[in-house]
Amino acid sequence: MKRSVFKRIAAMTLAGLMAMSLSACSGGGSSDGLAAIKERGVLKVGVKADVPKFSLQKTDGSGYEGFEDDLAYEIAGRIFDMTGEEAKAEDKVEFQAVNAKTRGPLVENGEVDCVIATFTITPERKETYNFSPAYYTDAVGLLVLKDSGIKDVEDLDGKIIGVAQSSTSQAEFEKYKEENGVKATPTFQEFATYPELAQALAAKQIDVFSVDGAILAGYVNDTNELLDVRYGEQEYGICSNKENEELSELINTTVQEMLDDGSMDALLEKWGL
Amino acid sequence: MLKGLFNVNRWQRLLEALPEYYIPGFLMTLRTALCALILALILGVIFGMFSTSRSKILRAISRVYIEFFQNTPLALQVVFYYSCLPILLGGGGMRIPKFVLGVMGVGIYTGAYMSEVIRTGIEAIPKGQTEAAYSQGFSYMQTMRYIIFPQTIKIIMPPLANQALNLVKNTSILAMVAGMDLMYFTDSWGSNTGYFAQAYFTSALFYFIICYPIARLARYLEIRAMRQPVGKRLLEEVNADGGAN
Repeated sequence: MKRSVFKRIAAMTLAGLMAMSLSACSGGGSSDGLAAIKERGVLKVGVKADVPKFSLQKTDGSGYEGFEDDLAYEIAGRIFDMTGEEAKAEDKVEFQAVNAKTRGPLVENGEVDCVIATFTITPERKETYNFSPAYYTDAVGLLVLKDSGIKDVEDLDGKIIGVAQSSTSQAEFEKYKEENGVKATPTFQEFATYPELAQALAAKQIDVFSVDGAILAGYVNDTNELLDVRYGEQEYGICSNKENEELSELINTTVQEMLDDGSMDALLEKWGL
Repeated sequence: MLKGLFNVNRWQRLLEALPEYYIPGFLMTLRTALCALILALILGVIFGMFSTSRSKILRAISRVYIEFFQNTPLALQVVFYYSCLPILLGGGGMRIPKFVLGVMGVGIYTGAYMSEVIRTGIEAIPKGQTEAAYSQGFSYMQTMRYIIFPQTIKIIMPPLANQALNLVKNTSILAMVAGMDLMYFTDSWGSNTGYFAQAYFTSALFYFIICYPIARLARYLEIRAMRQPVGKRLLEEVNADGGAN
């Protein structure tokens, strides 16, 4: 008797837990369209917190600043029928810091409406997410310590190249190697965040810090230097949930219009990119 | 993320990724966990005995070890071994293999907890046992070996198994320093493809494969330890027979 009661309680608890976790996962409202965002009054955008010029969290904690954050305000402006400036003044964007690992799931769960976070457009990612037309073209860079003696790509034989998780840096290096007949074969290690990579380089646990040039520029100091090679041109796009077609459509047209009328160039120039 | 869970195509991709990502990661985690467990047990026994010894110095040494490693985060310790220890050991450029890093990091950390488990286990044995052993001419080591430890093991088995399980799961900290373990490859594959549901469910399954047998073994040992020793049982049988006659 006692045992069966216990079993029933256990089963009910388990079922309850499962139902809770299910609803917690699906309850993001990713496919609610533009109406839901308008009703909410803010656009939720995932941005980087640690990439100078693109998107940097202000040290006083009052938000984020950078090219990608301004772009987010432009998108919000289109949704709420105002200019980007007005959207900024009225705080129409709710920023959330993301990294290479979290940005994908956050969009898929509907925790954020879109992600503007130096997100490279690739064919595989296009299968999973919607991408706007490219708003910036970057290339991969190689950062080494000055006293490492590495001067050229050929010096990289047997060295360890640190790359960011979920980045395209490794694939681009392999491609560059093949196309240019480079003989050096380095090994690759992945790290979750850029600061971890910078620290690993400083502690000489990796020989090269290789991520997108725009990001790398923020980590140059007097002990390290950029190798004089740039390869793997890649395009950044705004990533949104495929199921939210209305929003994806609006983002795509907004970016395309900004590219066409020169306002994107103006914005890039404003941030010195 | 949950919607993608039932996507057949994604599971297909996961199967293709098994030999390149999950198997090497699983083996690395398994190796690291086993060696770290051995190290933790050795440290646990040594410092557990130090803690209960009569020498003030030994007690102080074990206290410092236990308090230091129990009261600082494991993540910090591993990152310290990774980026600071090579510099301390003689200039930059030196690299500690990831396997050694994992065994050291998790082994030393868990060893502190195991010391405490073993100390409390030894202290739980009544002092009279030790005194009786001494009075019969047993040395310190003999007392420990024949009188104290056999009784201690029964008491400490469950908490010790808990620590062993924690140790296995804690090896995932290696992923922070590109440790080539299960968690590292999970993160790597998951973030490359965006198939996080598949990546993490599969990873959980692999950790479960390591942990579940340990949990079962611990339960088995616990039950076995509760059984009465043969000698006592025989004695009772004799008494019962005597009563009947």
